[in-house]
Amino acid sequence: MTRESIGQVHFSLGDAARLSYDHIKRRWGRAAINVASIALGLSFYATLVLSDTFYGTYEGVGGVQLSVESYQYWLVGVALVVSVVGITNAMLIAVYERYKEIGTMKCLGALDRHIIMLFLVESGFQGLAGGLLGFMLGMLAAVMTTGFSTGFDIVFKVPAVRMLTLFGGSVLLALTLSMVATMYPAWRASKLRPVEALRYEL
Amino acid sequence: MSYDNVIELKELHRHYTMGGDEVKALDGVDLEIKRGEYVSIVGPSGSGKTTLFNLIGGLDKPSRGSVFIDGVDIAQLDAYELAWLRCRKIGYIFQSFNLIQVLTALENVALPTVFAGVARDEGLKKAEYLLESVGLRTRTHHRPTELSAGQQQRVAIARALANDPAIILADEPTGNLDLNTGMEIIDLLHGLNKTRGLTLVAATHDLKMIKASDRIVWMRDGQVERIERG
Repeated sequence: MTRESIGQVHFSLGDAARLSYDHIKRRWGRAAINVASIALGLSFYATLVLSDTFYGTYEGVGGVQLSVESYQYWLVGVALVVSVVGITNAMLIAVYERYKEIGTMKCLGALDRHIIMLFLVESGFQGLAGGLLGFMLGMLAAVMTTGFSTGFDIVFKVPAVRMLTLFGGSVLLALTLSMVATMYPAWRASKLRPVEALRYEL
Repeated sequence: MSYDNVIELKELHRHYTMGGDEVKALDGVDLEIKRGEYVSIVGPSGSGKTTLFNLIGGLDKPSRGSVFIDGVDIAQLDAYELAWLRCRKIGYIFQSFNLIQVLTALENVALPTVFAGVARDEGLKKAEYLLESVGLRTRTHHRPTELSAGQQQRVAIARALANDPAIILADEPTGNLDLNTGMEIIDLLHGLNKTRGLTLVAATHDLKMIKASDRIVWMRDGQVERIERG
């Protein structure tokens, strides 16, 4: 062997996705907590923006002016921060649980960035699931709270493009928050030296 | 180019500072291991066995001196090159097996081929063949928790072979196994060493493992105390 004959290790996004999927499937308890955390924070957000939209639409079709109080947006902000902190905490614990596994992966050829990718993809899945669930919950809550004053059929009067934008925005927000929350734990995991990871006994 | 000595250690030092004191985990080790040799590294705990194992495996960097693997000084390699070396040239076997719990036996064995850039189908096919060769054909879709300790170590051995490495590094491979299972694992490793011409370096306490080896390196206080022929 010469130094020139040394090649590169591989690990694609698809490989990370497959492994993340296995992790979530087998350790669904922790994933469920993260999904619930993001879903609750996001449902609060979705309730507010949807209610606002319903009120606006109602006003546009000749109803009286109703609106969401601005302080409620502050509360949403706080709720989202809380869910981010919750996910960071849960992911840090996940890193500690997988000390050995991360070390083993590094022995098999994983680079730091592969470990980061693995954790980010996993949190991406959770963010996506939390976003979808949160939006549905938010929709339910928004319809229940605004329906009595605007009529329940208001949902169908919102322009489709507006609805899709709200949906896309909410899911994107959930995805981003989940991945931002995982950055620090993922970085910590990637910096583990293989030796330390293997020495660790549970 | 192929070198006769697949592992060469020259004036190897590894020092740590622990609570202000300098600990000399390795204090000038010179050793040459030939291709296809089976070497046991023996010594009391704290003698530097594990440090030596880690340095040969590219898991740790020496304070001074060099580790040549197949003619390349690995202290000169960057993180990417080291990862490739760990992936392609060295197969690791651990005392506690270290299988990925969420993956099946087959997926565990195929994992190193992912890092080697082998196509998925091909990797799985190879994994199946390797599992069969360690006697686990009927256990391919079991997860580690559904396997006995001996079976888990067999999976780990198959995984270590996935990318056809030149060297197998085993750290107390029979340490967590009962007598008979340990014996089976030793026979399996010995067989691989002989039939595939694999270089096998094992840190061990196990007398039966020591007996099966070509050479025995006795470590004490970070130095090679003596070398015996098996």
